[in-house]
Amino acid sequence: MVFSLRNHEKIAIEALYDMYSAALFGVISRIVVDTAIAEDVLQETFVKIWHSFSSYSTEKGRLFTWMVNIARNLAIDKIRSKDFKNQNKNQEIENTVNSIDEQRSTVYKPELMGVKDLVDTLKPEQKSIIDLVYFKGYTHVEAADELGVPLGTIKTRLRMGIQQLRKHFN
Amino acid sequence: MEDIRAYIETGILELYVLGDVTPDEKLQVEEMAKKHPAVKAELDEIERSLELYAQENAVEPSENLRSRVMGSILTNLGDDNNFPEKPQPVNHKLVELTARKENNFYKYAFAASLALLIASTIALVSVYSRLQQSTNQLEAIQLQNQHFSNRVNLMDRELGIFRDPSFKLLKLQGTAKTPASVVMLAFSPSKKKVMIDMGNVKLPENDKDHQYQLWALVGGKPVDLGVFDAKNDSTGMKEMKSIALADAFAVTLEPKGGSVNPTMDQMMVLGKF
Repeated sequence: MVFSLRNHEKIAIEALYDMYSAALFGVISRIVVDTAIAEDVLQETFVKIWHSFSSYSTEKGRLFTWMVNIARNLAIDKIRSKDFKNQNKNQEIENTVNSIDEQRSTVYKPELMGVKDLVDTLKPEQKSIIDLVYFKGYTHVEAADELGVPLGTIKTRLRMGIQQLRKHFN
Repeated sequence: MEDIRAYIETGILELYVLGDVTPDEKLQVEEMAKKHPAVKAELDEIERSLELYAQENAVEPSENLRSRVMGSILTNLGDDNNFPEKPQPVNHKLVELTARKENNFYKYAFAASLALLIASTIALVSVYSRLQQSTNQLEAIQLQNQHFSNRVNLMDRELGIFRDPSFKLLKLQGTAKTPASVVMLAFSPSKKKVMIDMGNVKLPENDKDHQYQLWALVGGKPVDLGVFDAKNDSTGMKEMKSIALADAFAVTLEPKGGSVNPTMDQMMVLGKF
């Protein structure tokens, strides 16, 4: 797979898309709430994966980790970009109510129900830190600010949460 | 071993997997992973669990996005210069070919326009010179035409004289001085016209100081009817001064412009009715 991607084979990128697009889109669409923009970001993500594949090496870790970092960075870039901010400013008043609903709807999305069950097995403080860093693209420093907790505590909770996940999946 | 345990416990590996580390920390983690299999194993575990977690959280993008993404990747293939092998040759070549074709089209179009311009200029110059030639010819022909029509008018008038019954033709014969001389004359008493047929004047050519003068004899007295020159190539009828009545006509050679009275010893021809 990695080899044929490196050779820029079309079939490899197609397989990659089929395997990982949903997982990547899950991350992107929690950072970029607007579905159309999230899809743009997913497209940019795959284009970037395709073009910068030579910079990935198996020694550095799993392919998915590399890809999800690309996707998360592109998504964060997008919501911080001028375009995105302007677009939000330019929305008409009538649509604002709907868009607010959409923005909050993340919590109620049916596909999130499974996650919620899963995350419920985590302690609430572990859950919120994983929500922020993994779903919302916060850095742990930002998360510490947001939650009003010392950095060390954030790191510990993040680690504990992930260990909880490991147990769950094993 | 305790150090490694402690290193793992700091939570740096989780942040590394989440991409939330500084470049220095990143290098450090990668160094540690190389040196210590335990770190590498721990990293792998974290990555795996987060990957599974992401799979659990997967959200299917819309159906048509797949072809859109593939389309944009394949479109970008064309610009990818670092293509090692197995590119999409069709696509790649297609893009290049189209571009080149367009380039060539404008080149050819420019060359063609230039050639057309040169050809048109040459054609224009040649047509213009031929037009000029034709205009000159036409002018020459018109001039000739004018000349002929003048001649025809003249002939017509002369012919009119001969047809007119009121004209009488008189042949003035040479005197003893110049027996060979002849002057033909037409006289119409009713129209008071006297005309000399210049084509039938047979007189010695006069020099530039002298001219021939025509006289009418009325009751024995000479009356001046004007002067004329005798030249070999003279043609047409020359109208002289008018007179209603004459017994005879005579021509004398006089100083240029004529005399009041005829110089009798210079009488060249004489004719009587």
